[in-house]
Amino acid sequence: MTRFVILLPVLLAAAAAQAAPGPAQQAELDAYTGMAKAADPNFGGFSAARGQALFLATSKTARPDTPSCTTCHTTDPTKVGRTRAGKEIGPMALSAKPDRYSVMADTEKWFARNCDSVLMRACTPMEKGDFITFMTGQ
Amino acid sequence: MARSPALAFLFEDNSARLAAVPPVPVWDLGVRVFHGLLILAVSVCAATGFIASRDWLGLHLLGGEIVIGLVVFRLVWGQSGSTYARFSTFHASWAAISAHVHEIARGERRPHLGHNPVGAAMVLALLVFLAGLVGTGVWALGGVLKQGPLAFLASYTSGLTARSIHNLLAIGILALVGLHLAGVAFESLRVRQNLTRSMITGRKPGPDDEAEPRHSARPLRALLAMALVAGLVVPGTVALSARPGLGVPAGATDPAYARECGACHFAYPASLATQAVWHSLMNGLDAHFGENASLDAAQTASIASYLDLNAAEHFDTLASHSFRLMNPGDPMRLTASPGWTRLHRSIAESVFTTRAVGGKGACNACHQDGATGRFDPQRISIPKEALN
Repeated sequence: MTRFVILLPVLLAAAAAQAAPGPAQQAELDAYTGMAKAADPNFGGFSAARGQALFLATSKTARPDTPSCTTCHTTDPTKVGRTRAGKEIGPMALSAKPDRYSVMADTEKWFARNCDSVLMRACTPMEKGDFITFMTGQ
Repeated sequence: MARSPALAFLFEDNSARLAAVPPVPVWDLGVRVFHGLLILAVSVCAATGFIASRDWLGLHLLGGEIVIGLVVFRLVWGQSGSTYARFSTFHASWAAISAHVHEIARGERRPHLGHNPVGAAMVLALLVFLAGLVGTGVWALGGVLKQGPLAFLASYTSGLTARSIHNLLAIGILALVGLHLAGVAFESLRVRQNLTRSMITGRKPGPDDEAEPRHSARPLRALLAMALVAGLVVPGTVALSARPGLGVPAGATDPAYARECGACHFAYPASLATQAVWHSLMNGLDAHFGENASLDAAQTASIASYLDLNAAEHFDTLASHSFRLMNPGDPMRLTASPGWTRLHRSIAESVFTTRAVGGKGACNACHQDGATGRFDPQRISIPKEALN
């Protein structure tokens, strides 16, 4: 028992490291792959590292109250965030909130709103795919 | 210094004469217990009404209920108590009062075992004021807070008027209590009797007043009368209180509104804001208090229609009347309105910034019934973490 308790964080960390998109998330990624290829024939696949950079970056074109994704979501995607109006936001990491990135209309709604709030422009299909790739691996 | 005959009593010593006269029973148990409980209940009402904030409304209402119960008892006891409890021994006509005042002026000292005419008038005035306070209080409670037996009937504006009269009567009763105490002190000195002690012991120095017809207390008759009144009034009040309040939101919250708007913030009841405010908000979702909160056209139209049909103009609650006037510098933010600022003036700014509350816009952090649009004072509970 004691050994298991000691092992538990290790097991959890391993599970988190191995988190992978489920079928619903994969369907979204496939859709964004199609859009990315349509936009750029030389598209070479999504990158979790680029997604992480986008998530942590401080935008130079942001609306004043929302300079970064992390303003509301915090720098740890496995933790709950908080809107400026004080309401909790579920974690962005798939491992911490398994229903993330499973309904395309919702995903698109939030990208449309939040890319505009933080970047003052729409995100590209590649940025969206990078972001989801990063978050589904967290 | 010339001594006025009216004040001559101040300089005489007749204690030896009074000590020789055996005391007689005057104030029966009913009068004395009534008097003691009334002091208690009125003190609670005055303390919670004048000093404490609206957080103490519950205790104020309890005090008011006890006061009206005592007033009804006193009216019954005035018909069924012992001799000096009965209103038939209250000689409070203008003629009697005038004669009494003249007696004082002449320095005469005719004994009054019961109330003297001015004292009797004071007791009646106190009873009338107390009944008026309860009446206007119940009306204000119904109109402004949509609670109690008149919530179904009283409009918000009539409730405000009732509250103003209630406040005036409250000042009036303070003045009457002051006069009552001054009168008791004056009369105690004038007749060299401790009238306050008499109200506790029930006895006054004799001899008995032979002119006053004797009455025995009829407690059973009083009990029956009280039971009759209570049997009518209590179920009536309960039944009326259960009726839906006039202009209180009763419909369900639109699920799309609750889901979409409630995703980022407390889904403010539609009855809080005017149609004009909702209209501006729904036409500017792409720049919503500094963020993009846009929805697709169909959802925007359906939520806008729900808000329009349930806006403040359609209701009569305190909350629906409090934000009709917005701050021109921040015309869509309820928490920037003069009404919001006034209602929250007693709350420290630091309370709103704590994590447990999460900002001024998080109504439901403290208002347990915020989602219903009622905002009852009794349902306010500021999180403990926010108060440290």
